[in-house]
Order: sequence, then structure tokens, then C-alpha cells
Amino acid sequence: MSAARLLASILTLALLAATAFAQSALKPVTFSDTRLNNGLRVIISEDHYAPVFAIAVSYAVGSKDERAGRTGFAHLFEHMMFKGSENIGSGEHFFLVFNYGGSMNGTTNTDRTVYYEILPKNQLDLGLFLEADRMKSLAITKDNLDNQRNAVQEERRLRLDNQPYGKSQERFNEMAYDNFAYKHSVIGSMEDLNAATVDDVASFFRTYYAPNNATLALVGDLDTKTTLAKIEKYFGGIPRQPAPKPVDLSEQELTAERRESMVDPLARVAQINMGYRIPPATHADWPALSALGQILGGGESSRLYQAIVKDKELCTGTGAGSGARIGPALFNVTCSVRAGKDIKEADAAISEIIAAAHATPVTEQELQRVRTSARRSAVGMRESALTRALTLADNAVLYNDPNRINTLTDRLSSVTAADVQRVARTYLRPTNRIVMHTLPGAGTPPAPPSPQSR
Amino acid sequence: MPRASSVVSCLTVILAGPLAGLLVLAGPALPVGPLAGLLTLAEPALLAAQESPRAQQPTDFTGVQLKNRAPISNEVLKVKFPRPSESRLKNGMELMVLEEHRSPTIQVEIAVPASSLNDPEGTAISGATASLMRLGTKTRDARAIAETLSALGASISFNISDRYAYARFSTLTENLDAVMALMSDMLFNPTFPQDELDKWKNQQLSQLQQVRSIPDFLATERIAKAMYPDDRRSFVLPTAESVKSLTRDMLVAHYTRIYRPDGGRITVLGDVRARDITPKLEALLADWKGAGTKPPQLPLPGPIKGRTVILVDRPNSVQTAFYLGNRAFDRRSPDYIPAQVMNRVLGGGPASRLFRNIREAKGYTYGISSGFAASHYMNMFTLQTSVRTEVTGEALREMLKEFADIRNTPVPADELENAKRALVASFALSTENQATALSNATQIKEYGFPADYWDTYPEKIAAVTAADVQRVAQKYVPLDDLVIVAVGDGAKIRKVLAEFGPIEEWDAEGRRRTTP
Repeated sequence: MSAARLLASILTLALLAATAFAQSALKPVTFSDTRLNNGLRVIISEDHYAPVFAIAVSYAVGSKDERAGRTGFAHLFEHMMFKGSENIGSGEHFFLVFNYGGSMNGTTNTDRTVYYEILPKNQLDLGLFLEADRMKSLAITKDNLDNQRNAVQEERRLRLDNQPYGKSQERFNEMAYDNFAYKHSVIGSMEDLNAATVDDVASFFRTYYAPNNATLALVGDLDTKTTLAKIEKYFGGIPRQPAPKPVDLSEQELTAERRESMVDPLARVAQINMGYRIPPATHADWPALSALGQILGGGESSRLYQAIVKDKELCTGTGAGSGARIGPALFNVTCSVRAGKDIKEADAAISEIIAAAHATPVTEQELQRVRTSARRSAVGMRESALTRALTLADNAVLYNDPNRINTLTDRLSSVTAADVQRVARTYLRPTNRIVMHTLPGAGTPPAPPSPQSR
Repeated sequence: MPRASSVVSCLTVILAGPLAGLLVLAGPALPVGPLAGLLTLAEPALLAAQESPRAQQPTDFTGVQLKNRAPISNEVLKVKFPRPSESRLKNGMELMVLEEHRSPTIQVEIAVPASSLNDPEGTAISGATASLMRLGTKTRDARAIAETLSALGASISFNISDRYAYARFSTLTENLDAVMALMSDMLFNPTFPQDELDKWKNQQLSQLQQVRSIPDFLATERIAKAMYPDDRRSFVLPTAESVKSLTRDMLVAHYTRIYRPDGGRITVLGDVRARDITPKLEALLADWKGAGTKPPQLPLPGPIKGRTVILVDRPNSVQTAFYLGNRAFDRRSPDYIPAQVMNRVLGGGPASRLFRNIREAKGYTYGISSGFAASHYMNMFTLQTSVRTEVTGEALREMLKEFADIRNTPVPADELENAKRALVASFALSTENQATALSNATQIKEYGFPADYWDTYPEKIAAVTAADVQRVAQKYVPLDDLVIVAVGDGAKIRKVLAEFGPIEEWDAEGRRRTTP
């Protein structure tokens, strides 16, 4: 430790000790949690700070539910939800929301699909009507399907096929899983997107877009009782459907490291993706894994940043973190290798940092940073009605635990050094690891006849 | 997709130019959503009540089918902006405090007159100086700073824009004193360590290579050079040569010149009372005196004459990334307000014509939007989209058709009302966080607007007519006078692009090609 650092540490402690303000306890997010007769779970949290409200409707369906030959379908279906229903024309949904001062979107991942709007408070009926009408009566036509197939294929090109590291990221995900449920990408293959039919849409809608497979969360400037009555009016008549068959997400334990490399013609510097299989977000070890992710790769004070970006200068950026899924997830480590540096050296340096987490417990200072960060995130989440609505709806649909919005902070804050060391040893083993090296294929081409650089 | 921070999002190449904010770095791990690719162009916030009966005459809303059966409130919420308290510190700096006690956080911004546009062309001096201020003081090294910030749950940043040099921090209320002490150490005692500068330069040089793989960057680079070829505004990023040539002495000298308080302004937002933060700031800044540098006067030339197609050849591309534009007006122009309404009709958001036609009806793209950049230095209209290579020509033709339509035909009454209402009604959403109110208050000072500028904004929007919209469209939506930047696979799109105008070709390294 340099003299400057030593002094700095002392000063930091002095500053922390001198802090006059007491840390105020965070107010819990309070909410009502009810079910309509048709099985729709309804969560309402009043907040009269601003004249707005947010709606989130989360459906328990994601790319995990897709069958072979239909990858990308859950997300393609999400796009169909904006193409009209009995009382809403194609595209009228976003036309109305934006023209009346709101904002909206939807998003799909492996485990769930969620739709949301944020609107001025006087548009409560509009928001509820839009969500109810499409849950009740989606318009399923070949034209709409073909049209959104195009948009989704452009999305794939934009995010994946036309970007550096897109293809290797997709391959990395395939390497990480053996069970089809998580092995394929959320965006899906072009071929499978082309194969999707109107019948697929109809049967997917019937099976998964039933009220008993969804949670509706509202947060904002509204009255719980009258809102519930409106919800009953708009959603109450939508019939319940047989519960979808749960998908088997289980994986055989890995017994040897999986490692590949790929040349990417769009990339100019190398990149490392590492993943370690970890349990679902509901597992008792998850908070400790989350803390470990932050200690290893969260920001400039993290071990990886200090070692491989600053001290050794092998990478220009790095990150680490625990994925949150209802099934087997990944603890990810990424690094963008500095131009001219050896990717093998960077790979070895990352492994060294991980080995150190096996050998020695993390420090109290590191755990304190985890706790501060958890508090900061909890504060940030409370500042937006939309974030709260999304968190409540997802926690209900994914974990059957909307109150996770309040308990997760405490669980993260009570992680101990022994917990972190134990999970590092348990999960961050070389034999439990998937590694992808993306090698640059785009170089500086030979100089053209008479370059005029500017 | 995995939640781990994507490497692309770790890109911290310093964005040196005024156009830098337009650059959107798309990572592979972004969420998948139907509108996620949309650029969100900031709308000015406003407040109003306005009854707008739904129009009687049928309008062709291409790409959208309206059944008009959803229950809608025609009331537009009146929302009153809180105003920050204003005072002056003993050293002459203006202080604006907007209290918001909803949540235990405080954000402070210290801004002093300065400009990265004063840097010699292509240089990284302002960016380097600001970055290095985070990497060492007389009593703390870079690691100690990072660890302290992390322990406090705070962030501190320095930045030199085209108009101000900034020091900013954001903190939990309980750590205010500690974070202020740390920020003042970084602001007043930076040491610009040689080894940190060396490392910073190495990182930048690698990232300057990496960013050339991203189509949006390549498009932004070319549009900046096309719009402002003659001055520092043409640089979105510094050149590698200028990064290499930086020395510690240059940074120290730059810092000493730039970070001076005269003419500066401090804004405070959050969970602190004005009477509590003021003495703290007085104590912190008591010895800070003197004048720094002034932002330059730069010409704001009108639209570029003629049509140019700038092709950036990026082999292996499967899409063509378009950036269409021309110079327009600066923020003080009276055309600003009608142009906001016009753009809402044309390309501002998913209810706009460009989105409805080119994404919804034609399926050429995932996202498309247009907007105006209007400040003291930037005045541009731009359209951004990416389309699959095969429809490059058809998509461009449709965009130009929309440009021609809004120039040639008055906007139908209901479409105009939708646009005006959307601009006013969306203000309610920005009241969740008072940052908009504070930013509106600083804009009044920045551009010398009357004090009631935002109070009367709804009336100004309401007064915009179809004729106003057509007038500003003809003036600023470029058609014959237009710069078209297209980043894609040259072999596949060169021929079709030539149908739209004379082609000027560049490679992905930023080098002009004389004969394609």
C-alpha cells in the first residue's frame, strides 16, 4: 500500500466517522395483493407524489417455453400484442399512449414477458382497457404476423448480426446449456422466425396469455379501492385457462470446462466471456453470489478492474455479475482485451483473481460497499413508479414473492465473508465454467490509393 | 440475456465533441423489446390544459388502424413547475437549489464557463484533463478515490462540454459531508499522476480502435464532419495522434486555466434545504476565485446547399445505418416551438409518420426517429435508422417521401392536435423527478428567455398552426439540400445509393476514398 493510499484510507475512515447524518431507514414499499376469480393476480401500490401511474403486466412465459423449430417465438409474440385486439386497431395501442402523454413498451427474456405503460393519472381507464382488451381478444392475422416478423428480424440484425460480439455472445449462450429451454437465444434464429405461423400465435395466446398466468401491478397516483373495481370491470370477464405445463429447466452438472474461440469479422479487439453455472435467483446462495459479482466486477473499485484494467492493463473494460433466473443461471465475467495484448494472458489474470476469492475471505470494506450499493439501488428503485411496478409484477410472476422488493436489500446486506468464500468455492470452479474468446477479424485494411485523412 | 454488464457498456472513450451525445452505443446484451431501439429525443416539458375534440375528417394514419373505442380522458393535466431558490455565493457564483425530499439523495452540479471547442482541432486535452481529475489528489491515489466513492455509494464526475466545465456529484443524504469533502479534494488538489495518464492514454487508444466497429459511431463521425467541417465541432472523438501527444504539463496547465469560478453556477437538487447546503458550499468554495476561459463565438451557418451521399464502407454489414440531416436553427430561434410540433408529426416517437410508415407499414426497420439538436453551437435536423441491406434504396426513398409530404401538404387537423397534445400532456411524466424543472430553470438563464418561458409554453404550443408546421418543414426538413450518411457494405449498396446523389466514399478507418 502506497503512503498516499494509506493516508487516504485513514482519511476515508475519518470522513465516514465524521458523518453527522444518520442513515434513514428505507420505507418499505407497501402494496395490496389480491386475485380475481379468473386467477389474475393484482398488486396495487399507491404513491401520490406525482400525477402519474405505471402499469406492468407480466406473463409467466418466455423463450424457455419455446419448442424446437420456433426459437424467438415468445418475443415475436410480444410484438403481436401491439397489433390490435377486438376494440383496439393495429398500432392503436402505442398511438394512443404516446399521443396522450404517456410512454410504453414490452420486453421478453427467458422466463417472462412484461408489458408496461406509464401515463398521466387521468388516463387510468385507458391504460387498463388497453391491457385488458389484448389479454381478452388478441387479433391474430397473417398480415400482422408477417409485418412484425420483419421488425423482429431487423431487431436481430441491429442487436446481433450487425454488431461486433453478437454472434459469439449467442454461441456462448448455447455452450452454457444442454437443455433446450435456455440453450437457444431469446431473439431466435432467422429460420425459426420465418417458420412461425398464425396457428402458433393462436395456440401460444390461448396457453400462456390467460389471466391465471399473469400478474398486473399498478403503482402511482391512484386509489386502491376504485382501481380494483375498474380492474374487476375490465379484466374480470376474461376466462381462466388450464395452467400451462411447467417446463423442465434442469441441467446435468458440468464435469469439464467448455471453451471455444470464434473469429468475428466485425470485431476489432478481442473479448472474453466467461460463465459459471449458478442456481436460480430463489436459491439461498444467490445473495452471496450477487455480492461476489459486485466485489469482483462492480465498478472501478472492484478487484477485476483494479487488477486487469489498471495494474496489468490487459483489458480496457471488465464486468462481473450473477444472472437472475428461475432456473440455472450464469455468473458472468467479461473483459474487453486491450489492443495488442494477449488474450491468453488476460484469461489467466481473470482466473488468478477468481482463485484468490477461493483462497481468502473478502474484506469487511468490500462487504460494506456491497451493503451501500444495495441501499443505493433500493433508493433508486423507489424513485420511479414504473420501476416499482415492474419489480412487483416480475417478483410475483417469477418467484411468487412480490415482497422480494423489500426483502432482497436485507438479504444482500447480511451476506458474510464466509458466505462469499463458500459460494466462490462451490460455483466458480474451472470445471463449472464456459469460456468464449472472440478474436478480431476486422483489421485495418491496406491503405487506399490516396487517403485524405481528416 | 445475461445481466452481467456488457463489455460494450464499459466503453469509456471520452466523447469530445458536441455531437458526442448523439452517439448511441448498442451492446449485445440490451433488453429485447418492440421499441427498445428507439432514440428518445428529449421533449421540452410544459404544462397546460387544452380540450381537443377528436377530429371529424378522416386522416390517413398510415401503419395504424384506429377503432376509437378506448376510454380516453381529453383533459390535459395542469402541472405547476416548482422553481428553484436562487442566491449568490460570496465568491460570486450563482446558486440554484431545488429541494425534493422524496428520497434520501442529493445531486450537485458546479459549472464554470469553459469550452472543449477551444481545444485545438482533434485534441483530447479537455477530455483528458477532466478524466484525470478523478485519478489522483495530493492525499489520495486513484484506487483510494474509487474505493471511497464505492464505500459512500456516491459518484463524482468531471467533464468539459462545449459551454461549461463541470464538477458533479450524487450522494445519499447521510454521506453529503463526506462526499463534498472528497469532491473538493478532487477539484482543488488534483495531481495528474504521470502513470495514470499513461494508462489512460493506452486505454483510449485501444477504445478508439474498438469504436470503429460500431456502425452508429461511424455514422455520427461523418455527419459531424459534414455539418461543421471547419472547426472543432467536427470531432466526435479525438484523434489517436492527439491522444499520444498529451503530456502531464499540458493537463496541469489546462486545469489551471479552466477550473475558475467567475461566471459559474451551482445547481442543487434533492433532499437538502437551501439554508443547510449554502453554508457548506460557502465553506467549500470560499478560496476559489478568478476567471477562467470563455466559450468561443462560432458561426451558426444555415443549411448546406445541395445533396451529398456519404458512404462509409463497412464490409460484412447486414444493415445500412442511415443518418440524414442538415443544419437547422439554434435554441433561441422562434422557429424552435413550431419545429417541435412539426417533428412530433414527422419523426418524434412511435406515433409519428416515419415510424408508422417505415417500421409498421413497410417493416424495413426496427426503429426510426428524427429530431432537432439546438443549442448555442449545434443546430441540426437529423433522422436516424438502420435497415436491412436489401431494402437500402426502398427505405431511403420512403424517408424522402415523408420529407416531401410534410413540406408539400398541410398537416391534417387531427394529426396536428395529436402532436400538440402529446407535447403538452407528456409533461406530467417528468414531474416524477424534479430534474426537468431544474433544467428548465437553467435553460431560461442559459438562453436569456423570459422568466415565464415555461409557464406560457403550453399556449405557445397551442398557437402553432398547420401553416406554421408547413413553413418550418419547408425551411428545415432537408430534401434537395441534404446530407445522407450511409454505413454499410459498400459492394452491395454503392450502386443504389448513387441514385440519390453524388457519392463521397470513406472507409471504416475514417479515410476518404478517391476512386471507389
